[in-house]
Amino acid sequence: MSQARIAAAFADAGVEGWLHAVDIDAPGREIGLRADDPVVLSSVFKLPLLVELWRQVDAGLLSATTAVDLPPATRTSGPTGIAAMRDPVRMSVRDLAQLMISVSDNAAADALFDLVGERAINARLDALGLDATRVVGCCRDLFAAMQQDAGTEEPDELALRLADPDVRARLRVLDPARSSRSTPRQMTALLGAVWRDGAASAEACAEMRRALALQVWPHRLASGFPSDDVRVSGKTGTLPGVRNEVGVVERPDGRRFAVAVFTRTDSPAFVLPQADAAIGRAARVAIDALD
Amino acid sequence: MDLLRHLRYFVAVAEELHFGRAAQRLHMAQPPLSQRIRGLERELGVELLKRSTRRVELTPAGRVLLAEARELLAQAEHLQAVMGRVQAGELGELRAAAPPMVGGAAVARLLTAFHERCPDVQLELRESTTPALLQALADGSLDIGLVSRPARLGALAGGPTFATALGVLLAADGAPEGPVELGQLRDRELVLFPRESAPDQYDELLATCSAYGFVPRAVHHAVATPFAAGVVLAGRAVGFATADEPLPPGVVWRPLAGRPLQWRVSTAWRPGAAGTAVAAFNDAATAVLADAGWTPVDAPGPARRVPRPASGLLT
Repeated sequence: MSQARIAAAFADAGVEGWLHAVDIDAPGREIGLRADDPVVLSSVFKLPLLVELWRQVDAGLLSATTAVDLPPATRTSGPTGIAAMRDPVRMSVRDLAQLMISVSDNAAADALFDLVGERAINARLDALGLDATRVVGCCRDLFAAMQQDAGTEEPDELALRLADPDVRARLRVLDPARSSRSTPRQMTALLGAVWRDGAASAEACAEMRRALALQVWPHRLASGFPSDDVRVSGKTGTLPGVRNEVGVVERPDGRRFAVAVFTRTDSPAFVLPQADAAIGRAARVAIDALD
Repeated sequence: MDLLRHLRYFVAVAEELHFGRAAQRLHMAQPPLSQRIRGLERELGVELLKRSTRRVELTPAGRVLLAEARELLAQAEHLQAVMGRVQAGELGELRAAAPPMVGGAAVARLLTAFHERCPDVQLELRESTTPALLQALADGSLDIGLVSRPARLGALAGGPTFATALGVLLAADGAPEGPVELGQLRDRELVLFPRESAPDQYDELLATCSAYGFVPRAVHHAVATPFAAGVVLAGRAVGFATADEPLPPGVVWRPLAGRPLQWRVSTAWRPGAAGTAVAAFNDAATAVLADAGWTPVDAPGPARRVPRPASGLLT
């Protein structure tokens, strides 16, 4: 019944959807729609990167306050944060982590990815029992694959070519077998570990929760909970036709729910407000069903 | 026995009345030529030539055969020439298709324009949805077609893309006079071609409607404009159509303010089918679309796409 309503929330917006929602403090209370299917993470890969980063701080391998230089010539570009800036930036590891999550800063993410290492991130996922979750490359690798598959490096031309269904059909970044991937259930498991202080030290988990609560985007998960007394923390992921968000909804009654929503549509449109809102709508229906 | 070849040898000898000169003309040596002529005589059971040391003469049977063979060889040559034209796509049949949303007038103009360009090719034009058309092109059961864009062409070749603005069909009763904004339709239902006719175009159309504030209360599906116009006539629904569609009384067409909805089409064909007929179909389709006021566009998709920070790549 509730699953049918979740499916309807996706169908009404013209998207395919995958979802898992679970009560963080009573993991038996859960609901899913294709919750164990492989899905592409897109920028959600920054969450496992965040977890391993703070584990390395816990272990003394990294210092949270070490300053990192990001010269404009070599850092990854993107639409937000340092990735969109022009001049040299020097910033601490933990502030980079905050920008990577709060505005999905690609330059910050790739600088941290280089510090932490892909193998360490995947080893951490193994240690957490998340064997269906794999991180494959960072933002610049995703961009390079997209440029290669679309046959252009020029940003305006790339945006146009991504509207071509033939080009989208050959994008490796849209194939869970060849890109960073997980399942809705494994993403809520990871969030649950962060919220229960199980993913790293209590202090490190608090840092991660702070960054996730500072995420600025209102159009996806948060749109389903338009209320001042609900805290919504999360991390989005976006690629052509792909709109994702995984996060935690904390209600005034003290109940906390981890929810992971992954959507896909054949429409090439970048701006598709109803598809963004379907993420909030489906999450709302799922969490209400867990009452 | 390769009778045509042997007859060709015979005609050369009969015309030259000299084995050496005939062999020279045929670019071959004399002994095999003599052997072939004897072979032909054995095959037909008659003597064709009287040979002496000094000269060669035709027998009465040889004279009859010479006339018959000339005619047969000319016919064979004609046959080869005709098959060559079929091969080049100047003769024969071209299997083509167009989407059901293409109006009857456009189909008539396309057939005429093609026939003018390629009078000796029979154009088999049928109706087909874009996905079925692409499948038929891929499996070889169709040579060329008109498809709604964007579409998944895969390995198929695509012609230039043409676009035309869609307007809105309204019940005449209470319809506004000038252009209509999509957002003004917010309380209406929509009658639209079925998604399977052109899924990419269908999704794009509904996404644009939604972005401009028109989320139809219900979507009814109709393939052809007359049926859609009927649903519109009943009053609750609106439809989309090009300006030149014939409409029943009681239904009016209005342009959409800002031309937010475009219908884009191009030809698509099997690279293996390329030839005179495919070129003529492309040429005819281009002429018909241009005549009907369609404008060529650079890309099969939108002219410009600007990702925003919250909805761009990798955020």
